[in-house]
Amino acid sequence: MRLVVAECTVDYDGRLQAHLPAATRLVMVKSDGCVAVHADGGAYKPLNWMNAPNRLIEDREEGVWTVTSPKGEVLTITFHDIISDSTHEMGVDPGLQKDGVEAHLQKLLADDPTSIASGLRLVRREYPTDIGPVDLMCRDADGLAVAIEVKRRGEIDGVEQLTRYLEFLNRDPMLRPVRGIFVAQEIKPQAKVLAGDRDIGCVEVDYDELRGIESPNLKLF
Amino acid sequence: MGLKFRCERDVLAKALADAGRAVTTRGGALPVLAGVRLELTGDQLTITGSDLDLTISVTVEVAGAEDGVAVLPSKLASDVVRSVRAGAVDITVEDDDARIEASPSEFAIRLIPADEFPQLSSPDGDAVTLDAAAFKAAIEQVEKAASSDDARPILTGVLMAAEEGGLRLVSTDSYRLSVRDLAGSSVLSEGQKVLVPSRALKELARVVGDEESITLRLGERDAGFEVGSVSVTTRLIEGEFPSYRGLIPTNHPNQLTVDRTTLLDAVRRVRLLAQESTPVRMAMSADGLELVAVTQDVGQAHEAVEEAVYKGDDLTVAFNPEYLIDGIEVAPGDEITLETVDELKPALLKSAEDPNFLYLLMPVRVS
Repeated sequence: MRLVVAECTVDYDGRLQAHLPAATRLVMVKSDGCVAVHADGGAYKPLNWMNAPNRLIEDREEGVWTVTSPKGEVLTITFHDIISDSTHEMGVDPGLQKDGVEAHLQKLLADDPTSIASGLRLVRREYPTDIGPVDLMCRDADGLAVAIEVKRRGEIDGVEQLTRYLEFLNRDPMLRPVRGIFVAQEIKPQAKVLAGDRDIGCVEVDYDELRGIESPNLKLF
Repeated sequence: MGLKFRCERDVLAKALADAGRAVTTRGGALPVLAGVRLELTGDQLTITGSDLDLTISVTVEVAGAEDGVAVLPSKLASDVVRSVRAGAVDITVEDDDARIEASPSEFAIRLIPADEFPQLSSPDGDAVTLDAAAFKAAIEQVEKAASSDDARPILTGVLMAAEEGGLRLVSTDSYRLSVRDLAGSSVLSEGQKVLVPSRALKELARVVGDEESITLRLGERDAGFEVGSVSVTTRLIEGEFPSYRGLIPTNHPNQLTVDRTTLLDAVRRVRLLAQESTPVRMAMSADGLELVAVTQDVGQAHEAVEEAVYKGDDLTVAFNPEYLIDGIEVAPGDEITLETVDELKPALLKSAEDPNFLYLLMPVRVS
């Protein structure tokens, strides 16, 4: 990632023509070839940008970058005063962790598996199988293995996922028989039916209650 | 199979709309359920829509020319018929299309194969008759307290139970509970109870109109209601309804008595400043009632309800304004009482005149 903070003018010639007069801006060149010109405001949207793939020709003498896309669009950045020009190796991005609640829910349940069913004790979080880790592996009061899949919203996909894990786990003579419990804040009726059909238990948990937060909305039962 | 008839636009549009309310809006395993089934026998046209849980059939008188059966896409057929000029509408089914003609408009709509429409059975129990107006009013008094959360299907139903020679309707979403007794309506045998989806009862209440009676037939797994030319059949919900009797406190030391409309109007005004899930506080004392709502960064509302009469200890209880309004709206009579124990225990909203209705409401905890 190359970051250039500079006073510059920017001209775009493509689907339309646009001109940004001279001002201090941040120019980002990402490793995939994207070029974006940002002002000091707005959350994410650049003033101008060119999606990859692009060809960037840098004329150091004139202080001009010419960015050309295969569609014939041209972004011309004329640098008047470069304040900072740095390049950073950022490595592979792990991706967006979309659901912090789900991860937190898994941690809370790992801390106290008895909130799922009495007598459960944790063996391991992220228990590995050949097709990916199952969220929680526990033993029940009788010492039998219980695989637990945790979701924020319990839908059919989650039941299918747990079914696949159970199929693999039950091939392990050291573990089997392994039963499954599908845990979510809310489980859709179709998912409950499918889970019931496959002898998978369903447990709905209250995230606030697990966090020790008492809801102001009192219930009759 | 051919099918041909003529019908007045408004009659056909209403029948299509009524039957279409049971049609599934979600794409499911049976695409045919996005359609309504038309069956013409003589001059009787029966239009049926179903999502397999709820089925609504409407029979109307038409000028029949050729008996037959066809399934039309529900929304499209309804939109087309509703859009044409007032007057007669001719519908003719030929090959794969239904032709809808109402001069000067002409539409051809592709049919859905009729043989894919499921065979829908009706409950075969003995027919019992209910007073339509009373039953409709009772439905309206309880259906709002039923849950709309499919994750707890039992709470989406209204319990119908035989009670002291009459019929009792009960619903709860765990935050409030409605109970309505219909004295003398002995439609169930002693001790019998069924759990009817509130959605089906709401649809039934919609179509009651000026009809005097509703015929009810109960099957093992379903219930059928007939009112005039409309029949509503629903699957019953299986499972045990929460044991509700013990939830109703028997001793309420504090009692507020107030004109129903006065309180309703006041809560509706104050609610405007009860935003972002904030409650409405009811401060009750010998001076009467004061309603307060405060939403941080938005503002606050106060209203004194001087007409209210309060007996008991000074007490401030907060309620979800929507739930409070729902209860006040459906309470029968002009005057209501609100009985309370303290700020955390359920409050009992009743009609001062009609002992056959009660609405139990949990407060909201406030600091």
